[in-house]
This record gives sequence, C-alpha cells and structure tokens, in this order.
Amino acid sequence: MKLSFTAADEQFREEVADWLNDNLQGEFAKVRYRGGPGDEHHFVDERKAWERKLAEGRWTCIGWPEEWGGRAASIEQQVIFHEEYARAGGPGRMGHIGDTLTGPTLLAFGSEAQKAKYLPPIRNGEAFWSQGYSEPGAGSDLAAIRTRAVFDEATGQWQITGQKVWTSLAHESDYVFVLARIDRESKRHHGLGFFLVALDQPGVTIRPITQLTGTAEFNEVYFDDAVCSADDIVGAPGDGWKVAMGLLGFERGVSTLGQQMLFQTELDEIVRIAKGNGASRDPDIRQRIAEAHIGLRTMRYNSMRMLSGGEDGSLSREAMIYKLYWSSWHRNLGKLAMDVLGPEAELVEEGPYELNKLQSLFLFTRADTIYGGTNQIQRNLIAERALGMPKEPRGSAK
Amino acid sequence: MNFTFTQDQLDFQEAIASMLKSEVTADTIRARWSAEAGLDDAFLAQAHELGLNSMLVPEALGGLGLQATDFILLAEACGEVALPEPVVESVMVSTPLLVDILDQGLGNADVQRVIDAVLAGEARVAVGHSINPCINYADSADWFLLADGNSVYLVPRDAVTLDAKKSVDPSRRLFTVSFNPDSQFLVADGDAGASLQRATLNRGALATAAQLVGLSKGMIAQSVQYSSDREQFGKAIGANQAVKHLLADVAVQLEYAKPVTYRAAYTVGVSPTRADFAVSHAKSAAARTALMASRNCIQVHGAMGYTWECDVQIWAKRAWALAREWGDEGFHNNRIHEWLLRKNALLGPEFTFGRGSLTDVA
Repeated sequence: MKLSFTAADEQFREEVADWLNDNLQGEFAKVRYRGGPGDEHHFVDERKAWERKLAEGRWTCIGWPEEWGGRAASIEQQVIFHEEYARAGGPGRMGHIGDTLTGPTLLAFGSEAQKAKYLPPIRNGEAFWSQGYSEPGAGSDLAAIRTRAVFDEATGQWQITGQKVWTSLAHESDYVFVLARIDRESKRHHGLGFFLVALDQPGVTIRPITQLTGTAEFNEVYFDDAVCSADDIVGAPGDGWKVAMGLLGFERGVSTLGQQMLFQTELDEIVRIAKGNGASRDPDIRQRIAEAHIGLRTMRYNSMRMLSGGEDGSLSREAMIYKLYWSSWHRNLGKLAMDVLGPEAELVEEGPYELNKLQSLFLFTRADTIYGGTNQIQRNLIAERALGMPKEPRGSAK
Repeated sequence: MNFTFTQDQLDFQEAIASMLKSEVTADTIRARWSAEAGLDDAFLAQAHELGLNSMLVPEALGGLGLQATDFILLAEACGEVALPEPVVESVMVSTPLLVDILDQGLGNADVQRVIDAVLAGEARVAVGHSINPCINYADSADWFLLADGNSVYLVPRDAVTLDAKKSVDPSRRLFTVSFNPDSQFLVADGDAGASLQRATLNRGALATAAQLVGLSKGMIAQSVQYSSDREQFGKAIGANQAVKHLLADVAVQLEYAKPVTYRAAYTVGVSPTRADFAVSHAKSAAARTALMASRNCIQVHGAMGYTWECDVQIWAKRAWALAREWGDEGFHNNRIHEWLLRKNALLGPEFTFGRGSLTDVA
C-alpha cells in the first residue's frame, strides 16, 4: 500500500491544472462548471468547441495509445486528469461516450479500417457519439432487445429497424452504436450485432424526452430502415453481446474520481448555504452534513482501492458496489440540499421552468438510482455475482 | 374509547372520493398548468354543493357544525387525487379562523359578512402565516387573513399586493402577499392574535398532513398498477421482491401515519391551541411517508419515473412542497423535542388520551 502519487504524477497534475486554467478563459470562461448531469442541455455548441480545444492540447482520449493520438496515460494519470478537470470546473464532456466507450471498444474489437475511420474524429473533438442499448421493452432486461438488423445483399448495407430509448444527447450527436438482433429466431443475448450508425440520415428520427426537471437530455431514437455499411458491424455478426459487455467493462471507474470532485463542489455549496442561512445551527442538519462528508471520503478511498486492482478490466467486488453506493449517497445529498434551503427549496426562477442548481441536483438525483442499472438490479448483481447467491428465477412469458 | 370512523363518515368520504376521482385526473391537473386562472370553477361549485364550505362552521352560524374528525378523511381524499385547488386549506384553516374570531367576540363587521359569503359559496379566503413565505392560489382569493406580529388582519383583495412566485410543483400558484397593516382591517392583536395564529399553524399543518397521507396512497396505487403491467425478464417487475419491498415499506409507513393524523384531527377539533404535539407528530409522520413514497414510487417506475410525461411527478412534487408548508420536518421534530423534554412532561400510558394529556382541556 502506498497512499500517495509519484513525483512524476504530481508534475503531471500541475501540467493538467495549468493547461486547464490557461484555457478555461475568454470564450470558454462561461462553460466552467456547466453541462454536468441535469445541465447537459446548456452550452452545447460551446462545449463542442471546447472538445476541439482539448484536442489541440492532447487532452482528449488520454487513455488511448499514442498511435491513435492518445497519451497512453496510466490509471493514476487518468485519475489525476479527471480530478483536476473537475476542480477547474471543466464543462460536462460532450466527447465522453466516444472517448471512454466507443474508442476503447473499437481498439479492442474493431477492424483496422474501423479504427482509421472512427477514432481520429473522436480524438480531434469532431465526432460525437451516443449509446443505443435500452429499448422500451428492454431496460433492466437488456437482452430483450428487438431492434432488427438485416443485411441487404443488393445494396451491401445493413438495414436497421426498431426503437432505442433513453439515448443521452442523441440529438446533439453524430453517431450512435446500436445493439440489434440479426437473427430473427434468436433469443436473448444470442444472435445480436453491434453496429456503428450515423444519425444524420433519412431512416433515423430523434425525439427528445422531457424529464421531470423540465429539461431534455435523453431521447427516443427511431430506426426505420436506417442504414450502415457492411463494414460498420463491430466483431462478427452474432458477437454483439460480447462486444456490448466488453464495452461496459471498459468503464473501469476512472472518471468516478472526477465525479466525486463534482460531488465535493455540491457539498461545499450546501455547507456554504447552511452557514449563510443558519441551517448549520440545526443539530440534525449538522449531523447530516457530517455524514455526507464521511460518505464522500469513504467513496473516494474505495475508488482508489478499486483502481489499484488488476489490469484485466474485469469487475471486482469493490467495483460492483460503487453504483449503488454513490447513487444512494448522491440522492441523500439532494434531500439534504433541499432541507438546508428550507421553504425556499420550493421556489423556482421565473421563466418556463428554470430550476436552480440545487433543485436540479435534487430532482436529477432521482434518476441516479435508476439509470445504468437500478439500485434493485445492483443489489441483485452484488448478491448473485459478488456473493454467488442463487439467481432470481426468470419469467417464462414470451 | 373508539378510534374508528362512523359509517356516516365513511360513506361521506366515499361519496367525495368518487366525485374527486372522476373530476380530478392527471389530465385535468395538467390542463390547469396552462390555464390562466389554474382552477376548475365547475369543480369548486360542485364541492360547494356537497357542503364542504359549511362543514366545519357551527350550526349557529349557519354551517353543518361538524368536527375536524369528520373532515379529515375528505382532506385525505383530496390529497389522493393531488387536487391542486386549496379546498382543504379553505375548509380546515381559513374558515375555522374566521369562526374563532367571531367566537371570541373579536373582529369587525366584515368577519360576519365574509363567513356568510363563504357559506354561500361566493367568497374565497386565503390565510397567511409567518411560517410560509407564500400563499397558494392567492390570485383567486377574495379576502385574506394576514398576520403582522401578533396581530391578525382581514384584508380585501384590492388592499393587498400580490407578487407571483413559481413553484417546483407546476400545480401550485404561489404569491407573496404584502399589505398595509391598517387598523380598519385589524381583527385581533396581542395574546388573542398570537393564540389565533397558533391555532392556525396547527390547523394548517394538519391540513397538509392529511393531504400528504392521501398523496402517498395515490402514489402507491399508481406504482402497484405500473409494476403489475410492466414486464422485464419475462415477468411483471412487481413479481420481484426488490420491487415489492419498495412499496411494502411505504405501505407500513402509511398505515402508521394514518392514526397519528386522525388523532391530531381529534385534538385540533377539541383544542387547536393545545394540539402542538399531536399535530407535529402527524405532520412529521405524514411528511416522512410522502417523501418516502415519492422516492420509492419514482424508483418503481424506472426511467419512466423521471420523465415529465409520467404522472407520478404530479404527486411527488406536491409531496415535496407540502412536506415543507406549515413547518418542515425539522420544525415539527423540534416542537416534539420541546414538548417531550418539558419539566413534568406527562408521558405515561395513562396520558395517551385521558386526563392531563393535551387533549384534555378541562
């Protein structure tokens, strides 16, 4: 055990911090601390420009190999980057999915032609990606997907038909990766394909879904004979599930440290308000602030432990508990924020439905315990995969 | 002792509840969000026909002379459908305050006039209290009962200034209300005024507690329905224990919030100024239930639960708002602490309802 960073890492930290500080200025000053969860609809064009700025400084895709424009950054360096990025108020990353999901997936499973076509625009902050997994009938039960992909011999293209849902930022993206059923007779995770599909084409319709925050980050995406070329399937036809699950494994939680910096910023804001309006004198509020602080510390230590583990990318026990832990902690933080605000918590700015930062935090944390696997699904995963308990029986319907 | 409702009370609740369920739906509530006045006049007329406005007014004043325990189930039913209009506040808070003022020989000629207009269904009265920064539906009130220091004023609409505020809950129409505390509007001051305000706070907190109980019921019903219909892994999601337990946990809280709320209604009926403990217990329990219901019922609806389209938000946002109105959890828990830690606090089982307890005014 060694609970400190090396001198070289600390020097890297300084480099990151200096660059961000120098560049989050001028036209980019206004995107500081913007575009995070619940705020993703703001400053979209500016944040895309910011991605190109990051790319100029070689700060996109830092975990990628140098061959593809990355820095081959170590886990420690990636952690440092995310921490400093959050500390500097770097805006919500428009390039997040391309950088952390599409890229690593293509690097692991893609053909050389796919890498050459898709990686450089991601690396250069020019192409933005979204994720086409969930469907109306396939949420927690992802293997129930029904979107179909058919290879048309005449045109030499795949034709995709079906509907995806909860597709974050699809309306601001250029591409979506789509998990679709190739073999009509196939069941569950068999017979699937993983496709790279351009969104700007006649067969694709995108409809934003308004959340209870009044904002719309995610979408319904309809495919009606949308096409992609024969070269746009990743892995072999039928290997879609393997590719999709491999992709989820790449999210090793490096960005969680940056997320925790955002949490720290939120907690600091809550403490500031509590001191200002006298709520900090309420013993119950004081206790809960202390608990929030302790919880965040615990989360940070566990993430460090998680990232110190093996390099094989497989999920360890401590990684499995992370989603459940942070989502519950964050949800409680939202409630604490409202209780600290007191009666003012109910009042929103004039305008269509302009929530302030803490109200948005509170309402958006309602989604934290649902997206990316609900808390109930997480508990099942912990029980069945980490503890090895018997699996919950599946239904026989359908 | 009899801790149940009479058949008459239950029948009346059923009649009102069925009227509410047919008239106040998620669709009609959403329609109010974009309507100019944001209230349904036809519905309010119907509620008046059913006698709601006169229920808690003594017979001597031309009312039905019923008690808070007669109305509490109806208040709950209003919450269950997430009724936007402040019917419960009107019946349970503003009208009883007018009655108190007359009973105590306070006020001026306007008070009788306003009560008569309320009984005739021709006037709406809103109440302000220092614990609430805003008044809901102030724009549709004809008269205001407003506090300034210990004093209470009865002020006509044209003598107040309204400043619109927006609520997280799109059903609520909030306003800050300012007025010139002119002696022509004064109805009570000094100890009498303070006592009226104290009773009003208790009635207000009780009114929100009952609605919070109803809101929780409404959310559970929707979630049971959704989890029975929605299938994943080849079966209804409600078949999973993880989902069942989310709703069972709320059901337990709910059943325990009910008797506490009913008891508070009893106490408020007997002695509204001595009901602090019972009311704070009710508000605290009902708020906790409704906040848990909001949280768990959104969770049961999965990703649908945090969309604008999903109706649970109507109930959940109301619960978040009402949990804070007329004193938040912290305020009411503190009142309970104060009461418990008094010198010579009467805490034994013999004081649960009987002599020496707060319900005993003799």
